[in-house]
Amino acid sequence: MAPEPPAILDAGPFDGVDPDEFVRASMHWHFDPATGSRYWLDRAGRLDFDPRRDVKGVADLALFPDLADELRDVPVTDLVPCGYGRDVRPVNVFDSGGTTGAPKRVVQLDDLVSRSTEQVDLRLRAHGLPTGTQWLTVAPTGPHLVGDVLQRAARSLGGPGLSVDMDPRWVRKLIAAGRNDEVESYTDHLVDQCRRILSTQDIGVLAATTPLLERFAREDDLLERINGSVRAIVWGGTHMDPDTRHLLATDVFPDTPLIGMYGNTMMLTALLERVGVGATEPCVFDPVSPYVFLSVVAPGTREPVGFGERGQVIVSHVSKSMLIPNNAERDTAVRTRPVDGQAGDAVADVAPVLTVEGDRVIEGVY
Amino acid sequence: MATPEAPQPVHLDALGPRGPYRTRMPSAVQDVTGTEVARLSLVPPVYVTRTLAALRKAEPVPTARVDALFEAAAEEFATGTVGGLNVHAYEHLVSRTCGTPLPVVRAATRGTARFVALARSSAEQGRPRGTLADPERAGAGHAIWARRGDVFAVNASGNHPGVHRLWLEALALGYRVAVRPSRREPFTPHRLVTALHGAGVRPDQLVLLPTDHRAADALIRGADRTIVYGGDDVVARYAGNPRVLPQGPGRSKILVTADTDWRRHLDTIVSSVADEGGTACVNATAVLVEGDPAPLAEALAARLSRLPGLPPQDERAVLPVVGLDRARALDSYLRFVAAGTRPWLGGDGIVEDLDDGSAALRPAVHQVDRADAEPLRTELPFPCVWVAPWNRTDGIAPLQDTLVLTAHTRDRALLDALLAEPTVANVYVGDHPTCWMAPGVPHDSYLSDFLMRSKAFVGAL
Repeated sequence: MAPEPPAILDAGPFDGVDPDEFVRASMHWHFDPATGSRYWLDRAGRLDFDPRRDVKGVADLALFPDLADELRDVPVTDLVPCGYGRDVRPVNVFDSGGTTGAPKRVVQLDDLVSRSTEQVDLRLRAHGLPTGTQWLTVAPTGPHLVGDVLQRAARSLGGPGLSVDMDPRWVRKLIAAGRNDEVESYTDHLVDQCRRILSTQDIGVLAATTPLLERFAREDDLLERINGSVRAIVWGGTHMDPDTRHLLATDVFPDTPLIGMYGNTMMLTALLERVGVGATEPCVFDPVSPYVFLSVVAPGTREPVGFGERGQVIVSHVSKSMLIPNNAERDTAVRTRPVDGQAGDAVADVAPVLTVEGDRVIEGVY
Repeated sequence: MATPEAPQPVHLDALGPRGPYRTRMPSAVQDVTGTEVARLSLVPPVYVTRTLAALRKAEPVPTARVDALFEAAAEEFATGTVGGLNVHAYEHLVSRTCGTPLPVVRAATRGTARFVALARSSAEQGRPRGTLADPERAGAGHAIWARRGDVFAVNASGNHPGVHRLWLEALALGYRVAVRPSRREPFTPHRLVTALHGAGVRPDQLVLLPTDHRAADALIRGADRTIVYGGDDVVARYAGNPRVLPQGPGRSKILVTADTDWRRHLDTIVSSVADEGGTACVNATAVLVEGDPAPLAEALAARLSRLPGLPPQDERAVLPVVGLDRARALDSYLRFVAAGTRPWLGGDGIVEDLDDGSAALRPAVHQVDRADAEPLRTELPFPCVWVAPWNRTDGIAPLQDTLVLTAHTRDRALLDALLAEPTVANVYVGDHPTCWMAPGVPHDSYLSDFLMRSKAFVGAL
């Protein structure tokens, strides 16, 4: 096989590169002693296949064991490919939510931050999001990816971003301990902060988690403000069941487009709802070729389920800066064909799995 | 089979302020064999939130029309075709899903209709004599009877259809009412709410909100007053919440003192334990006997042992039926609790396999050696009774924490002590089974004690 031109690794999300070729080039990058990360070079010796020889395309990412659990302990500097040179530092280190045990850590280098923002920006524009308008983002920041994705999207669309932070881990602890009154007080605290912003600022785009949007439905004054001025609502960070989505779109926010965002830390970016799908149809998320590939499988066998059937979501992230292949997410979804001939599956009606390795999944305001 | 089964699973929609609401993926309701018989729409929290807001804005049911509305609804509930189900199909479904003996379900239909028709006057029984219901008639120095809130929620259980008798009083008192049915037995509240809507109660005055547990929290948080049925965990959880009235295990009891021959009251004792399938909170959990309890335990066991184990929809069914797995779990739990006691009935198991995936729960009678023995607190959903010795030196401590106490005694001082005891909710004397109930007679105090307050109203309008 001829050496892959490394230029393909710098391809943008809409450059139309061949995803199989991109994956092959990535294998050479991540598993070449001259360019790979300490983590992957060390891990390669314990794989029962040779990624550079055996991974010939997207489908072969399934050869990898699910190694995401190891990301709970790996020093983050070991995740940076040494091909970037000695001086490169991660722009961001993100933790998974900690919904299932100790958080897993991933790094974002500068190039991936740009690629991620570029694809989110393009897809939000495809949804007709206004530009140059103020955003209010109510989502967790700090170790969590979603807040960063939203704030960068706001800037990219020319909107100064106002924000309200939240600590989803604390909320989940409260829920696990049955301290529902404190969950309620914390949510009140978030709503109060939103009220101060919504009542004094002209907000054109509201980005918030599902439980917050549900909660706004109880506050008549906030609904009046939102329905009066907000021109688009982006929801994400947690699941939204189809009935809630339909009610929010038709009853609570009847005149404002509601745009779903599905992301998790192991994707290192977020997927936007497919354009042109109505509130009565399932909410579909397409992958982002060539960085994020999805498949929907039967949990026990990891065999793909049929199109239209529900299974567990498997996510692979492949880029120059990170490789997280074949990671079983805490989500289930209906397997759907992707648009634009993208590789792998699209997912519809994403919902939580009830158990991941014995721990009960607890969702809160996040 | 007496009643043909519906060919398709019945759809039980939520009944919201703007009419029926069907979710995209209704949840299956299974009968005792695990066969799906209905599909129940479980609404998400945002639906609960929006519905409670609509209830809060709605007017109360007009007082002048309540009796006529309730009488019409009661008639429809007891005899009509409601939501596509005639009364036989409805009773069959309740029996098959809850495992409640069909004759018990039928009697409950008639009983519920009677309670519904009389709900306004029953509620009126709880009004303090110093107050007036109607401010128009209040003159100087009077008080009116006022609601403590606007929205009343019911978090119902499915152990007995009769659970859905009490909340009509809240509707009669002007509350707007949200009923969250048991996921096991949504049929009765669906039928009753539909009948009331048919009679003229507006959909924004009374709603049926089937939900999962997450949305149930939203319901309890959003309502002004909620009655919650459940176990000891529920009682503990809401013990400090003045807006919630928990209805836990009844731990109903029978006391027989030495001045009374229990043999003359055995029918009442058997009824208290086993009527209603033994699943109600008013069924007796314990019998306390002054003197040797063994002869009573033996006689009670002999009577209860004759009850046949039959599928719940059988005309002669008297015992409750559950899925076989649950039956076995209850059996092993009973064995665990009963360790060290003297079994008179059911000691070698209470599971009667009906060979269709379900099992009848056979009666159990165990004798304990002390009035304060730990097993006395164990209330199980079938005729399961603990027989204990009781002595004057035990005092009334072993009789505390009781929903209904039936006393077979001639001891006036003892009766006075029981009537004065705050943790005994109801005292019946003589041949009145613990499960006796009637409209206008308090069940766990008057519901209005929880819903209403007296408010001074001085001056003229």
